[in-house]
Amino acid sequence: MRRSQVLTIYRKEMLDTIRDRRTLISMVAVPLLAIPLLLLVMSKFVSSTEKKAGDEALTIAVRNVGRMPELLIALSQAGFKLASRDDLEAAIAKKEIAAGVEPVKSPGTGTIEVRVYSDLTRRSSDVAEGRIRAALAAFKENSMKRKLIALGQPDSVINPFTVKSVNLAPEKKMAGMFWGGMMGYCVVLLMFTGGMYPAIDMTAGEKERRTLEVVLSSPASRGAIILGKVLAATTAVLVTAVLAMLSLIVSFRFADFGAGKAAGRIPLDATNIVLVFVALVPMAVLAASMMVAIALLAKSFKEAQSYLTPLVMASIFPLLVGMLPGLQLTPALALIPLFNVCQLIKQIFLGEYSHLAFAITMASNIVYAGLACFAAARVFSKESVLFRT
Amino acid sequence: MIQVQALTKTFHDSKRGAVHAVDHVSFEVRSGEIFGLLGPNGAGKTTTLRMLATVMSPSDGTAVLNGHDILKEPEAVRGSIGFLSADMGLYHRLSAREVLKFFGELNGMRGAALASRIEEIFALLNMSAFGDTKIDSLSTGMRQRVAIARALVHDPPILILDEPASGLDVPTAHVIEEFILKARDSGKAVLFSTHVMEEAEYLCDRIAVIHEGAIKIVGTMEDLRAATGKQRLREIFLELLGIADAVRRVHAS
Repeated sequence: MRRSQVLTIYRKEMLDTIRDRRTLISMVAVPLLAIPLLLLVMSKFVSSTEKKAGDEALTIAVRNVGRMPELLIALSQAGFKLASRDDLEAAIAKKEIAAGVEPVKSPGTGTIEVRVYSDLTRRSSDVAEGRIRAALAAFKENSMKRKLIALGQPDSVINPFTVKSVNLAPEKKMAGMFWGGMMGYCVVLLMFTGGMYPAIDMTAGEKERRTLEVVLSSPASRGAIILGKVLAATTAVLVTAVLAMLSLIVSFRFADFGAGKAAGRIPLDATNIVLVFVALVPMAVLAASMMVAIALLAKSFKEAQSYLTPLVMASIFPLLVGMLPGLQLTPALALIPLFNVCQLIKQIFLGEYSHLAFAITMASNIVYAGLACFAAARVFSKESVLFRT
Repeated sequence: MIQVQALTKTFHDSKRGAVHAVDHVSFEVRSGEIFGLLGPNGAGKTTTLRMLATVMSPSDGTAVLNGHDILKEPEAVRGSIGFLSADMGLYHRLSAREVLKFFGELNGMRGAALASRIEEIFALLNMSAFGDTKIDSLSTGMRQRVAIARALVHDPPILILDEPASGLDVPTAHVIEEFILKARDSGKAVLFSTHVMEEAEYLCDRIAVIHEGAIKIVGTMEDLRAATGKQRLREIFLELLGIADAVRRVHAS
């Protein structure tokens, strides 16, 4: 196998790839345009839905207020608009109010039980229920305080202690948790979708266009041809990964998620970026080789698409597992392809990765990539595959 | 230039068992000769040419092309041939120049020598006007010239042409015929397969009729006429395939 032939095949495949509209869409347009667009639309939708739910949650009604007249003042002071409705259940069902409040006298003790009516399948009702509970808790605490003050109790009895939560995770780590999970999942998944069309085009596409036989009749060895193709597919996969990472960084900076604000403080130092890129390289070779090997089995572009779609779907499962919080990248788990790289990316952003987990992930993915590359070469050597009609 | 020795290809089919696509085929093609492999569809022409181009391995037998054995030196064999089929096998997103550069480089050509060879071929085939246009935008005739140029870029001593004019209109097919005749005149050995009688009769110095994987006869038109007692190649062909006898029997009954 001559290196010059591998490079010639590689250059031609890259030239062919960047001139293919389908490939450009999946490799460049999807990560660069679709992700920001999707995230921006999603963030706008989420924030407008939340705002609408928040506004609607302010309208509530109180029934039998005579049993507890001060309730009206407490709820008004909490910012609620009080509508006049007797049939709370019907008003909630008709979406006239977000929630209803009713003081009910307990039959045994004679104490008042304040019932909060809501429909938890509705976002505005859910929000209203939470706010009412908070307002009632504050009202209850203030009532008790007033009574204790009237009884002349000292401040140490009225306020025996205060509560303050202290989050020991630095902002960088908080951002890393959110980012790492998203980044691993999105980037690795897009590597498959971005590399799929180039892989098909340079294998089943060549068969369909009848160009493969002509290349096979040139002095280039089969090893040189398949290596050039795998390298080109790997480049396409890596380009997709880099563009997806860039796109995600920019999108999260401008997206209006609550977590997006934390993401704005993402630790984007050079070490993290280099480590993530290094972790993605064997993954890219693995993805490209698998797709080339499978697409080679097909005799047409369409057939190859139907072969590769299940592979992309199957890749979602280990990636989703990798997004779960609390999972650690143990040496055994670092042997699971896709999951390992997704988890490693998350831990790199968290600043928590261990050198052992990094080494095992890299080593196992290099072995898997080598096996996939070997499988592609084996498939490419079979006449029954190359001349399948 | 080409010596084919008992070349055999056996496929294994789940329904039919062992299928002898090419069965101990032997022939020779000399320099400056056009040799036609004539046969009906499925006769084994393409499989024979694929084995000679070393893109398929023979089950038995071998062949020597330009002094290189297809089993021992397949890369040297491929460097000695120019391959062309009616499908053309062109990359539609590349220009003619890019296609020639690609195949020139695969054949070990580089830099100024390759650039100069490309210009020479452009001039030879009158391609300069569309040399930098993407194949996608070219007419069928122009594409056929690009395909010819691709087969010639490394100036191979042997041309292997698999039904090169199949399905082409008369003017485009004429371009191919002219190319084949010029190649012969420049001393190249031309081996081409066809099932078009007129094409074979017009172009070939010698013809081999192949049927069901086996060679029925090899010779000049005169040899074929003498052996069969028929004048036209079509009649000779039907006679050799045993179809003429079958037709006569049907008419007699």
